[in-house]
Amino acid sequence: MSAISGAVQRSRNRYEAAVPETVQQWIDRNGSLLLVAPGLFAFSTFMLFPLVFTLFISFTDATSATIFQGSQDFATVEIFGLSLPFGNYVELYADPQFWTSFGITWLFVATSVGLKVGLGVFIAMILTGDRVRGKRWMRAIVIIPLGLPGIFTITVWSGIFSSARFGLMNRFLSTFGLGPVNWLQGDRWMAFLSYNVTEMWLAYPFMVIITVSALQAVPKELHDAAKVDGAGFLHRFWHVTVPAIKRPVLFAAILTAAASFQQFLIPFIFNQGGPNRNNELIILYGYKEAFQQYQYGYGAAIMLTAVFFIGIFMWINVKKGRLAEGVDGE
Amino acid sequence: MSLARRLAASVREDVVNAATAPARAYDHALYTIEGMRTGDVDPLEVAKTVLITLGALAVVSIMLYPIYYVFIAALQGEGATLYSPGSDLFVPSEPTLEAFLWVIGDLAISSYRIAVTIPATGYDIVVQTPAIEILDVSDYGVERTSNFPLYLKNSLYVAAVTVTVGMALVVPGAYVLSRRRFVGRMKVLYGYVLFTQIGGGLGIAALIALYLIFVNMGWTNSRFMLGLYYAAVAVPFNTWLLKTYMDSIPVSYEEAAIMDGASPARVAWEVVLPLAKPGLATILIFIFLAGWTEFVIANLMLEQQYHTLPVGLYALIGDYTIPWGRFSAFALCFAFPIVLVYLFAQRYIESGLSFGGMEG
Repeated sequence: MSAISGAVQRSRNRYEAAVPETVQQWIDRNGSLLLVAPGLFAFSTFMLFPLVFTLFISFTDATSATIFQGSQDFATVEIFGLSLPFGNYVELYADPQFWTSFGITWLFVATSVGLKVGLGVFIAMILTGDRVRGKRWMRAIVIIPLGLPGIFTITVWSGIFSSARFGLMNRFLSTFGLGPVNWLQGDRWMAFLSYNVTEMWLAYPFMVIITVSALQAVPKELHDAAKVDGAGFLHRFWHVTVPAIKRPVLFAAILTAAASFQQFLIPFIFNQGGPNRNNELIILYGYKEAFQQYQYGYGAAIMLTAVFFIGIFMWINVKKGRLAEGVDGE
Repeated sequence: MSLARRLAASVREDVVNAATAPARAYDHALYTIEGMRTGDVDPLEVAKTVLITLGALAVVSIMLYPIYYVFIAALQGEGATLYSPGSDLFVPSEPTLEAFLWVIGDLAISSYRIAVTIPATGYDIVVQTPAIEILDVSDYGVERTSNFPLYLKNSLYVAAVTVTVGMALVVPGAYVLSRRRFVGRMKVLYGYVLFTQIGGGLGIAALIALYLIFVNMGWTNSRFMLGLYYAAVAVPFNTWLLKTYMDSIPVSYEEAAIMDGASPARVAWEVVLPLAKPGLATILIFIFLAGWTEFVIANLMLEQQYHTLPVGLYALIGDYTIPWGRFSAFALCFAFPIVLVYLFAQRYIESGLSFGGMEG
């Protein structure tokens, strides 16, 4: 026992002799970093490093034939007489397929966010209504989809949108006398519609939770006062409810817009972005270029273009959202 | 243990509450009818309330119908297909568990040979365990069964790695982020939150590089490395979550322990961690789910014999010979345990989810 503590004491002395005082103080103050470091290191290895590596790949002409031999070369392009490694980017921004994908991605963001916010606020309004009985119970069960794994939800919905005559959606249409629709492989807008419906269903519980808590924060007196003044339902909705829930709903909309922009699973599982590559949302476009065409460099350029826009979402979130709140933990 | 007891108590409370709800509603209705008879309650108002409540119920039912439909389809086994009008939409006319039997397959504990060499004597003890057959699905007319057991085994392997490594990475980090001040603390927190709220798709954006790294290192088809990856990606969200939870534990407990002469390590181990049990349970579930439900990377990295459950589920929809009923049963066996855990843990999860800005 004493031999061990003696050894500890000796190494302690040696440490104090060898390391400068200021460094020792720094270590004493910041030694807790050591406990954060493993997590930070693991996260950086598997997330940040691949992102940086993606940047490198996007400058090369890496394909399955070259990258594994390490024989890839920079994809250069002549700009002002300089040979710069932006070949993939120049090629990409001249590719009509890129602009199809880019356009449909932003259209998807716009339509799906509109639907998600609309449906979320609608359900939240119903489930906080004065006359609705059992609303707490209904609120508890209506958010069940939040607990379902995305892969489950999306595979199930791809079955619902089956082009078969007795797929669920076609059966639903047939009750209105409408013929079977080839949802996923026929018309591009039918496929696009099916994406929107699924995305809406995936995200509405999140919107409901946020809107309900915002609605509950609206003082009842405000509504009563407006009623006394003779304001109708629409009038009260616009002048009392909307101003009160605007901020939280806007914040949720930013988050959910970022999620829509990065949507990959729905088009991948439904129909691989078809028909005719018309609905390839941008992440899927990059994925397919890399793993189905084996154009790793080109795919990396697409992915980084997407990352750039995700970065913009993050920036908006920091500026407009209330991200920083709670970081300090009061 | 007290955590389990408390969970059980809250579950019991919920169940009792739900079970007595009809009785309370009935009392309420009787009271209202009585009021109408005596003229205290306006029948028109009552009718409005009933109509609006029914409307709300209809909206909720429509939203949840797809889940219900999956249940119904699963109970119809081979009868439920997308190509014939045979399947029922509301009540299964001939409920059968055939589809679930197809998913689970034969349940049998095969015979193992256990050999133990006793040191220094040279004797071997060999035990042959008997094969135990619990369920033979061919008795019920199911011939070829699904790959569910194989995928389940793979998923459990990956999840075990994810949870072990993930907890080891997250808990110490969350503790010091909550209790100590050091350089770069705010930066780390800020980065973690930013990634959590927006960065879900970055994992796929970095996928090309990740794939090339995995191939170069020979890590494809390694379930261990996949588990490690899931653990690493789960770090930001769960560290943040646990840190938030630990912030809510009063510091005075620790101060008392320090006054009594406990070392910092002992304070963390014997004071903070026991108090943070609900938070620990929550992140355990989240870390587990991160790997359990991930599809894209598992689909890309693993060969068929290593596929996890989500990949197995995806493979089914491409196979047109699979009836919708069997697909539904497979999907339910995969997702339903998760939903149960989620529902039971909902209170803890919600108490842990008090993000800045999330509360509105």
